[in-house]
Amino acid sequence: MTELAQAVVNGLQMGLLYALVAVGLAIIWGLMEMVNFAHGEFMMLGMFGAWWLSSTLGWDPLVAMLPVALAIYGLGVLTYSQLMRRVQRGDAFAQIFATVGLLLFLQNGVVALFTSDYRFVSDTVLSRLSGVQLSILGIKLGVPLLMAGLLALALFVALYLLVDRTEFGLALQATSEDRDAAMLVGIRPQKMFAVAWGLGAALVGIAGVILANFFSVYPQVGLSFTVLAYAIVALGGFGSILGTLCAALLVGVVQSVTVVYLPPAFKDAFVFGSYLLIGLFRPQGLFGRF
Amino acid sequence: MRGIRILVPVLAAIMVVGGFALERAEPQAPKEVLIGVLLPLTGNFASLGQQYLWSNQTVEDIVNNDYPDLNVPLGPGKGFPGLGGATMKLVVRDDQSRGDLARTLVEQLVTVNKVHWIDGEGTSGNTSIIQPVVEGYGIPLSCHPCASPTLTEKGFKWFFRTGPHDRVMVDSVFRFLQEWPKNGGPTDLKTVAVFTCDNLFCQDNHKIALEHAAKAGFKVVADLTTKTGATTLASEVQRLQAANPDILFFVQYPAETAVFQADAKRAGWTPKVLATSNGAYSDQTWLEAQKKTNGGAAWLGRDPTAIDLASKKPSWKKVNEIYKKYSRGQDMGELAMRQITGMLWVADTINRAKSLEPAVLAKAAADTNMSPDQMIIDYKGIRFDKSNQNELATGVVTQIGWDGEKHTIWPWELAKQAGYTPVYPSPSWQERDAKPKPAR
Repeated sequence: MTELAQAVVNGLQMGLLYALVAVGLAIIWGLMEMVNFAHGEFMMLGMFGAWWLSSTLGWDPLVAMLPVALAIYGLGVLTYSQLMRRVQRGDAFAQIFATVGLLLFLQNGVVALFTSDYRFVSDTVLSRLSGVQLSILGIKLGVPLLMAGLLALALFVALYLLVDRTEFGLALQATSEDRDAAMLVGIRPQKMFAVAWGLGAALVGIAGVILANFFSVYPQVGLSFTVLAYAIVALGGFGSILGTLCAALLVGVVQSVTVVYLPPAFKDAFVFGSYLLIGLFRPQGLFGRF
Repeated sequence: MRGIRILVPVLAAIMVVGGFALERAEPQAPKEVLIGVLLPLTGNFASLGQQYLWSNQTVEDIVNNDYPDLNVPLGPGKGFPGLGGATMKLVVRDDQSRGDLARTLVEQLVTVNKVHWIDGEGTSGNTSIIQPVVEGYGIPLSCHPCASPTLTEKGFKWFFRTGPHDRVMVDSVFRFLQEWPKNGGPTDLKTVAVFTCDNLFCQDNHKIALEHAAKAGFKVVADLTTKTGATTLASEVQRLQAANPDILFFVQYPAETAVFQADAKRAGWTPKVLATSNGAYSDQTWLEAQKKTNGGAAWLGRDPTAIDLASKKPSWKKVNEIYKKYSRGQDMGELAMRQITGMLWVADTINRAKSLEPAVLAKAAADTNMSPDQMIIDYKGIRFDKSNQNELATGVVTQIGWDGEKHTIWPWELAKQAGYTPVYPSPSWQERDAKPKPAR
């Protein structure tokens, strides 16, 4: 029983990190209904930003979070204004090709600049705590992952409040639902889309900075997370911030519990299997609305 | 008689003109020897591909320039003397770590670029995809760091490998573990867990490890295979911890190794012995990173060379200087050493063949008998068996010490030369944190 409880707790901790990776996509894909296959590459840039600031200026990733988020916010806005705004008028395939092209451009650009070496961000506040554990009823909680999870949770709450409780968030939702009607009440859709791209990119950039404490940094790191992020957003329901959080936690727990009882090869099969199962009964996802 | 008088000069004229024409028709010595290099320079295996590219550029530099004091094949002198001083030219293609693209590109290298030799693809999985294509065209193909034994067990005539394969190297690890108690090692190692990734290289290691563990008398208490690209291994660590093996035989790439280390540290678990094979253990960037955390201290693994001993050779130092020109200052790791040794053998073979005809090249390759004194690596030489596998490529076992460097611990005669006492048992995470870090 302790074994199962430990697996659930491990899964919840990882789920919080997955949620942070997925929430940017929930805004761009879920809310604004635009495809972004380069989502993981913004995360990779966040990781490289953390590594670069750590190795050149000695900045801890927790300190690097703000400048990296601002830089990637700018890149997100630039991506929308210079690329996605143009392909937005075409069909979905144009968005797919544009963002796959962006993925290759960013990934190979980083290879050209930094080579394909694996890089490690060590001696950070979180990594120095990496052996420290909390033990509750025999269940161990790693303190760094717990802190990262709490940070992710705080960002989630802030984002939820921003999207659901502010005028700006309502304008964002209005643009997503009916662009013409939004224009009639004075909302500038292009601006909303640009901000949504900036916000989505900045959030996954922050996720990258946090993940740099736990994962190696290399140009192809984004792909595994992008695949999971797409499953999480679809499972949680398009456009739902709360749904994204719940789906990410579910994915973390499914991954973790599966491996305790079955060969690890089943791990991702069960994640996507649970998406298919839920899709049979709730095609709109856990918290989605048609 | 008059007829003969006329016929003789005519015949003589024909012979002179014909001879001249024959002389003209003889192929001119080539100016360049084209080596098709197919590598994963982007995509999942890019970190391997770039090391092989730097290695190939190093060999191209050695062959085309004069290094009078460098005791490796074609070190002194410029170009291939056997081909009238022709130079080596690499035709490099990036397959993005994708097998389908590798297959297309290798066809292009043969039919469009008309290369004389193909080296690639650097990973066993994609090499197994291009092997039948190259075999069909009848051109020599080599992959020196590819470690899957199956590559030379399929009966291909045109494929050559100078490096050792996993059967040799994994065998080294288990022979060391078996012989260790008689050589001052622990006597309480009874159980083993095998934890590997899932591609061809990983699965070959997995299969061989299970065979050798049983042969060496260890009981296998856990056997887990995980997908490459894992974002968490916490539950795998939980299962390994529950199985409580004395030895963990671990084969994972650097990214997954970092995830494993973080999860094992969080769980507070270390086995008594962590033995590994290639993957992160062969990756120079992972090794360098361990010097900041002591994370790799006491990990032991198979290597194709005793790097601590080989690096004392003057030729190793000189080749490393050349390598650093291309690698942005990074030292040669054992993968680079395998690749450079292999490509220098390719150059030597072409030079000995004195021809670029594929059949002549293949014959020269098969006739190789290279002595170890010309190498920067500790093979006993290069000589191919019937499957075109170098039967003199051997394996050693090394361990990462508290200094962050690899030290030879097997075979015993080399271990004696290295003068290093293995760290046992594997230190706890607290001990690793408490000890001074070599990179600070």
